[in-house]
Amino acid sequence: MAHKVLSTPGDQGEGVVASLDGLDARAAAIVHGTTVVTNLLLERRGARVVLVTTAGAEDVLFLRRQDRVSLYDLSRHHPAPLVAREDVIGVEERLVVRAAAMPNAAGDATAATAATAATAATAATTATAANTATAAAALTSGPAPIVERALDATETTRVVAATLARNPEIVLVALLHSYADASHEQALAAALRAARPGLEVVTSAEVLPEIREYERFATASAEAYARPAVMRYLDRLTERLHAAGQPAPSVMTSGGGMQSAGTAARHAAALALSGPAGGVVGAAAVLRALGDGGDALTMDIGGTSADAGLILGGEPLVEAGGDVAGVPIALPRVLVETVSAGGGSIAWIDDGGALRVGPRSAGARPGPVAFGRGGTEPTVTDAQLVLGRIVARGMSGGVALDVDAARAAIAGLAARLGSGVDATARAILAIADAEMARALRRVSVERGVDPRRCVLVAFGGGGPLHACALADALAMPRILVPPFAGVLSAVGLALAPERREAAMSLLMPTSQLSAELLASMDHRLSKTAEGSERRTYARMRYRGQGHELEIPVFTRGAAAGAGSSDAAGDDGAALATRFAEAHAARYGFTLPAEAEVVALRHEAGEPARRVRFQREQPANAVTGPATLALSDATLFVADGWTATPLDTGGWMLERA
Amino acid sequence: MTTALDLAVWSSAFAMIAEEMGSVLIRGALSPNIRERRDASCALFDAEGRMIAQAAHIPVHLGALPEAVRAVRDCGPRPGDVFLLNSPWAGGSHLPDLTMVEAIALDGVIVGYAVVRAHHADVGGMSPGSMPQGATELVQEGLVLPPVRLVRGGVMDEELLALVLANVRTPDERRGDLAAQRASCAAGAAGWCALIARQGRAAVEQAGAALLEYAERRALARLAPLEGATSVAEDWLEGDGVSAREVPLRVALRVHQGRLHLDFAGTSPMVAGNVNCPIQVTRAAALFVLRSLLDDDVPTNEGIARAITITTPDDCCVAARSPAAVAAGNVEMSQRLTDLLFAALAAAGVAVPAQGQGTMNNVTFGGRGWTFYETLGGGQGASAKGAGPSGVHVGMSNTRNTPIESLEHAYPIVIERYALREGSGGAGEHRGGEGVIRRYRVLEPCTVTLLTERRARAPKGAQGGGDGAVGANLLNGEPLPAKCRRALSPGEVLEIRTPGGGGWGRPR
Repeated sequence: MAHKVLSTPGDQGEGVVASLDGLDARAAAIVHGTTVVTNLLLERRGARVVLVTTAGAEDVLFLRRQDRVSLYDLSRHHPAPLVAREDVIGVEERLVVRAAAMPNAAGDATAATAATAATAATAATTATAANTATAAAALTSGPAPIVERALDATETTRVVAATLARNPEIVLVALLHSYADASHEQALAAALRAARPGLEVVTSAEVLPEIREYERFATASAEAYARPAVMRYLDRLTERLHAAGQPAPSVMTSGGGMQSAGTAARHAAALALSGPAGGVVGAAAVLRALGDGGDALTMDIGGTSADAGLILGGEPLVEAGGDVAGVPIALPRVLVETVSAGGGSIAWIDDGGALRVGPRSAGARPGPVAFGRGGTEPTVTDAQLVLGRIVARGMSGGVALDVDAARAAIAGLAARLGSGVDATARAILAIADAEMARALRRVSVERGVDPRRCVLVAFGGGGPLHACALADALAMPRILVPPFAGVLSAVGLALAPERREAAMSLLMPTSQLSAELLASMDHRLSKTAEGSERRTYARMRYRGQGHELEIPVFTRGAAAGAGSSDAAGDDGAALATRFAEAHAARYGFTLPAEAEVVALRHEAGEPARRVRFQREQPANAVTGPATLALSDATLFVADGWTATPLDTGGWMLERA
Repeated sequence: MTTALDLAVWSSAFAMIAEEMGSVLIRGALSPNIRERRDASCALFDAEGRMIAQAAHIPVHLGALPEAVRAVRDCGPRPGDVFLLNSPWAGGSHLPDLTMVEAIALDGVIVGYAVVRAHHADVGGMSPGSMPQGATELVQEGLVLPPVRLVRGGVMDEELLALVLANVRTPDERRGDLAAQRASCAAGAAGWCALIARQGRAAVEQAGAALLEYAERRALARLAPLEGATSVAEDWLEGDGVSAREVPLRVALRVHQGRLHLDFAGTSPMVAGNVNCPIQVTRAAALFVLRSLLDDDVPTNEGIARAITITTPDDCCVAARSPAAVAAGNVEMSQRLTDLLFAALAAAGVAVPAQGQGTMNNVTFGGRGWTFYETLGGGQGASAKGAGPSGVHVGMSNTRNTPIESLEHAYPIVIERYALREGSGGAGEHRGGEGVIRRYRVLEPCTVTLLTERRARAPKGAQGGGDGAVGANLLNGEPLPAKCRRALSPGEVLEIRTPGGGGWGRPR
């Protein structure tokens, strides 16, 4: 059963509870995908954060990465950071982490590849409620951080007093090199909590124990900025549901996993990209239900934008890095590439005489011309209607559509271009398709994945309309239009696996990694994030590179159930081999340089919920060109394609 | 036939391939200068050697890549050859920019060119980092490569590679970066061939040509209201790296029959030091300035350049010839050229922002077995729209900073302070952007080379706004010249204060 309700902008929780009104029974589980954090960041409505940071580095959030926001528009500014400059307090302390001694400089030494030996490793859980503190591990085989300036008691007292004097809602402690040694951050956090019991304090290393201060500080600032509001929101939602006799909710993270409301409240930054993740997770679930565990590209098309995602081996691709409203959130997230092209995107003619589509969108109001709500500029949806690809009463919401008005609007453009109305409408779609195809290529080709080996899963209100054109552009052989195509994100929420994650920063060359050492680290990670299905990945690169590839790790014992054929478990050499293969596949070359493991990432959880989809009404195969009205979307089967109904509901399209 | 209806589709298809090249380069590269700072550009050319698309990374590479392809085509490329070059007399800019050009082969013929230019941290020469101060001849600045076949018909010339690596200070890092550059070219070639396979060669070529005309139309549409405008502007570089004598620059601007004409008569002849630049850098500056007047969505291709003509005297520091030294021309002369051209536009009545920091603040450290190069942001000029952005690169660069943690992890340097330079932006109704303070303490003996500007002549305010603060270089608190090289002992402290941007409008 699918049931859609309007959002309640004031408090999303009202909408959640209202949506359950039609339900007579108690829900088995309530799974919530939320844009609360996204909206908070977009509207800059978060908490007042006081930032305590290393003296000399107070401006890190304001200097960003020094690049300007636009190459050619010299007046444009980056969005402001989440912390006000007057709320930054410098603390006299300093750690320095240096790589091991350089290789002898006989002319073949490599300066930038000096990132060699391991520094002290830090483990942090990112999803375990019981363990929010950072556990410093003593896995040191290289030089420890150098304490340039110790944090002394007098300074701690001064900083605590200065911080509390500002009366903050929440405090962020973010110090240089804390990814390697979090002791100064922890000491300051403890002193602050002791001075004011109940005060919320976030440390940068517990949010993201990774090198590169700007990305770590900024991600942690999003956590601090959003946490108080998220805690209030989830508390209230839980109470309301309780009052309505419903179970406590769990929440979908940007990484596509599930967390209890209590855990999620203290991992607010991990919810920032929760919205678009649901669709990709839903697509993966449908693929699994069909018994397809292969590779897929996903395309979710709405009114103003289109989201492309990637599924590898039946699992959504999760990568670190993302950006919300000018704030980098360097946490794992389901990869989604968004372009401004959707049903409401407006067609226009630029000063070079070219027909263009978007990025401006008519949105829901005034919407396409055919909606008759005051829209005057032709949109992608108007073009679909003119070409007969949307049945005039086929839009969800039962809006009566005015085809004549749409045709008149496009005729206006066509006259200026000196072309026919239908040709112009087709060109509008082709331009929107090209933008969407670009997003699909970004998520696949740039990751070494050949779209021709993937099935295209098309959903959202507009996905099934554009699917054939996109598959043709990328030479993809098959298209899956899943059941409930219009509300697949919600299906994704219902089916998302419960997942916990733990990560450990390492920076260790593979030559120093014995099978025993790897197994013991993996074991420790498995203790902080437990579950019956577990996977560990090593984030690896050649010494000196700045981007990592994620390589699966199989260790003895830990991997007993993970299907490793190697009874002894991986050692550094095995990882190095696997990494070289992956590097060659992705970039087409390998280097005669040593590989290093930057971090280990561990995922654990319960098996994904299995569902059975059932087709409600029988249907026959359809050969294109044809238009099919689905319950919540319209499917356009292009010339040369055949659509076959699936027993599970939904359609599979193949070239005739 | 490409028409107004499908230009946007083609533009997207071409831009996508250039983007993919950039992504492969940055993810595969070893050196922080390419992977962190992204001091690199990727572009696609058609079989005629016309630039069809460029991934926007840094403006100074904008107009300069077509010269590289021209130089390669003069060498009689064969399908599958990959050339390497850096000579400013044959398509290069300055020596650290190693440019790779692949002649894309399809069915035994050349169907286009994939080009990747990346700034390498060292290419040999008299000082680590190959951004020397005081060089007077090109050969002092590093290994000079005219277009040479690194790959011949698909086969790598290992001996040539060995020769290149034997002449640089950090060969392993260079080998890795060159491998990433080659992978990036290959990605471009694959994308181009796939497009041809799908659409047909004639359609791709015709669409490329139509897009060049389209970009040209957009540029001409912007220039049309300026028809008949004339103006003159002057500015000065603060010394050529050998002497502190100022180097005068002069341009006469004219918009005539729809096009922008720039005449550099009155600009200094070539100078002894290395602030000279080859003509392609001058063209890049002109292109950047015109590009900044256009909307962001205009595709970046050679069509825009058709709206500009440039004339220079025979002996001219902005159209340098062999054997001039040029290392600083690409970074500092290019910045002054943009200041000069914006000033000429302002004099012709175009609304442009006040001057930005006008320098890249080039800082190069070199010690036993390591070199480290970075450039520093500063203040952008304010404009009618608002205050100038603070702590950013202006003009011809847009490289990112090196994270303090990455820098300290890899090199024997501690960053004691990295901050906005409060009060350095010019006063005005809209304030100029603030400069930056960066304080380095070295832990091992090393040398530092500085190539900086706007240490004497401040970035100018506009419409009654105040000037930005001039920059300053300090060693242990004592002033250093704008361009210099010093040996440093452990514990010594270098502080760079970058200029603020000019203000806009009278302060209220």
